[in-house]
Amino acid sequence: MNVEIDRRPIWIIVISKGLRPLFFLGLGLLFLYLINLPTPEGLTIQGQRAISLFVVCMILWVTGMLPLAITSLFAIVTVPLLGILDRKETYALFGNEAVFFILGAFIIAGAVMHSGLSSRIALAIMNRFGSTQTGLLASIYLLAASLSFFMSEHAVAAMLFPIVLEIAKGLNLRPGKSSYGKALFLSLAWGCVIGGVATFLGGARVPLAVGMLKEATGVNIDFFEYMVVVFPTVLILLLIGYLGVTKFFPSEIEDMHLAKMLFDRKMKEIGKIAYMEYSVGIVMAITIFFWMFFGAWLGIANIAIVSVVGLFVLKLVRWKDIEEYVNWGIILMYGGAITLGTAMERSGAAAWIANTVISDWASSPYAIIAVFSLLTILLTEGMSNAAVIAILLPVGIGMAGKFNIEPKIITYAIAVPAGLAFCFPMSTPANAIAVSSGYVTTRDMAKAGAVMMLLAWIVFNLVARFYWPMVGIKV
Amino acid sequence: MKNTYLHNPGYLKIDLMLKGIRVDGRVLKKAGFDKCRDLIDIACGLDIILPYSTWVTVPYIEDFAQESPYELIERDGRFFIFDGSGSVDVSVVATPEFYKLKTSTGIPLSNIGLVHGGYITITPATQCDFFNKNIECRYCAGNLDIQGGKGRVYTVDEVLETVGAAYKEGKAEIVYLSIGFSDTSDGGIEFLKPYITAIKRNFNTLIAIEALPPKENRWVDESYAVGADSVLYNLEIFDEKLFKEICPGRDKLIGRERYLEALRYAATIFPNGTVASHLIVGLEPVESTMAGIDFFTKIGVVPILPVYRPRVEAKLTQYRILSTEEVAPVYGHLYNAVAANSINTNWVRDISIVTTPLEGRFFVGDEARMKTFKQNFYKTRLGLKAAWALATLRRKLRVSTSSKDI
Repeated sequence: MNVEIDRRPIWIIVISKGLRPLFFLGLGLLFLYLINLPTPEGLTIQGQRAISLFVVCMILWVTGMLPLAITSLFAIVTVPLLGILDRKETYALFGNEAVFFILGAFIIAGAVMHSGLSSRIALAIMNRFGSTQTGLLASIYLLAASLSFFMSEHAVAAMLFPIVLEIAKGLNLRPGKSSYGKALFLSLAWGCVIGGVATFLGGARVPLAVGMLKEATGVNIDFFEYMVVVFPTVLILLLIGYLGVTKFFPSEIEDMHLAKMLFDRKMKEIGKIAYMEYSVGIVMAITIFFWMFFGAWLGIANIAIVSVVGLFVLKLVRWKDIEEYVNWGIILMYGGAITLGTAMERSGAAAWIANTVISDWASSPYAIIAVFSLLTILLTEGMSNAAVIAILLPVGIGMAGKFNIEPKIITYAIAVPAGLAFCFPMSTPANAIAVSSGYVTTRDMAKAGAVMMLLAWIVFNLVARFYWPMVGIKV
Repeated sequence: MKNTYLHNPGYLKIDLMLKGIRVDGRVLKKAGFDKCRDLIDIACGLDIILPYSTWVTVPYIEDFAQESPYELIERDGRFFIFDGSGSVDVSVVATPEFYKLKTSTGIPLSNIGLVHGGYITITPATQCDFFNKNIECRYCAGNLDIQGGKGRVYTVDEVLETVGAAYKEGKAEIVYLSIGFSDTSDGGIEFLKPYITAIKRNFNTLIAIEALPPKENRWVDESYAVGADSVLYNLEIFDEKLFKEICPGRDKLIGRERYLEALRYAATIFPNGTVASHLIVGLEPVESTMAGIDFFTKIGVVPILPVYRPRVEAKLTQYRILSTEEVAPVYGHLYNAVAANSINTNWVRDISIVTTPLEGRFFVGDEARMKTFKQNFYKTRLGLKAAWALATLRRKLRVSTSSKDI
């Protein structure tokens, strides 16, 4: 917890603090106004209430006036109170498979980190390939990306950060000045961001999107299918990202022996691989295997929870060891988002918005993908990627119905770009961690990130246009 | 006719501080004054209130005081200072009753807290690591040896009992916490934090802290956030060369530049007029002290100017004691500089051991009616509550704690 002192003139602070109650008062009045408007043609009264609630939640998610989880809890209690869904149904949605998958994934990742296995892998790879400046940069970048295939990108960034910081200091790179220092931390951030969209495990947003899709339409996307569809985008972006980092921030150093010495020392410090690391690694590998090949049959949440139980049966982890890795706020937030999304869908509100409001924006399926992916990639730079999904997906699924597009396609068009935040530290914790080093500035990140964001959007749409049909996704 | 300062409280205060006063035991007894606890205590002396609520702590027990032209006399229950040519009506501050009390752990409360003017001054740990390294400030008479454990560390409860007793008796308005040097990056705020928090939780009062400049500015933020309403980082000597000579510990382990930087930063965090620094008058040329006054006031810091007087057991004794006439212009300059830079003078008030900036008005002939009216208001019960409420509101508005929220 950091103390911050607002040094603005006191009258400005008073006004800005006074805005908060005014904001909530205004929001309450807006809600009352929307709910009391005459119900438009083609929309049910439940649909009108769902839209009113959706607008309020959207404003709260975008402005961040309340923590995302609290907005979600507000949505959960308000849905039955307004009679949009009944109580039992509403609270049952909180037990969605996606929520339990996320919970299981948090615990498994926590066990891997707690055992020290993830740090060992990171150090071993950097030790092996980090003897040249390009090798070190590439190994950090690819390591961040590949670890983010298997665990939350935020956790990967947090885990690798102290190691990269030590490397930067060990090489005597000047914070804010060294071009190679900027490249190292941008590699860390971008590796996590790009790798994080590759599988269900890189962040909780993909399971959220899949969960919302399943609740709304009954359609499922399994672990393997998602990887097949998304992997080319990830590979191309990894290549572009690496070229971008090296182009924007060319290395100014040649002598790498200090970094090598650091790795040697660190490797000695962690000693030989322990029983706990072996065991957790095996559980993780088995879990991923089942997710990939039996996920559709057994259910990814079931596999995750069985693995968690296994970790405890084998005494590989204690509850207090992993408690700090479980982000209960995220879990609450996702439960609420799924509830609200389902309320929008079942009340007919999402379809009504798609038919009457957004249908003019796009005239073809590819245009819809382009518009939604663009909206998503822009919004995710400024707000939580989960909130972007919670806002756009219910409407997107409604649009899919109008244009006879598979709802899966819209889900991809939103879930994948929602993770591709390159520009700002507030966009995603991986970026924030990189900027917090002092080596890369917000300006550096914004400059290089804007180019990367544009390229990512183009690559995603090109892959959708030319590759997706090859794997059976008909647009 | 003999030159007299009796009718100018500013001059009289300085003259009394420099020359002391003669007083016999019978008068002291009538005034309800007991001897001070320790001769090496910087604030040892007789607390007298001169006209215009001008508080002064006057040496009376030291040898030089026996040669003073001033004498405290009592007539019909009233007290006067007599200088051979005339007299002026004054009040003598009786020794607080709570000095006779002990904490529940058996420590005399007067060991923990001493009242001076409107302040109760408390040093929870009477230790300074400079003494261990033989780099203590050369004028200091403390011998505050950490390892020697001369003074024990008072607990939060003991401090609370002392503050409670002082406030119950109505003897203080503000708590002044201080700490000596310890080699930490926080300047002592981590140590003082539990005391500040506990005092704020139990009393509606303002707190001033005297500490060392922390190595990082975030500790200045922390000081304000935990509840300090005023902060003092005492540079003591503005002249660079003399600072090195007289304050070797401060020079080596903190550095003059860090003092100035921390003060400059603190002035942007704390309210106007609540960041202060001592400059000792008499240990450097008055021109240098005046340059320090100009520098500090320009960055929003209040210079507080004690007059140098060698203390018993201090290493620095070779300095000539300046006369009142020599130091008076410095205080006039202080008043003008503070006014020119619009620095609030309400906070630094009723200090008996130094001349406050507002008391500087006596040296330039300014009545400063508005300022004294405001200061007098803040000394009333209503004013004290208003000051506390405003300080609390300001902190509430300015301080926020950030933690990652999803």
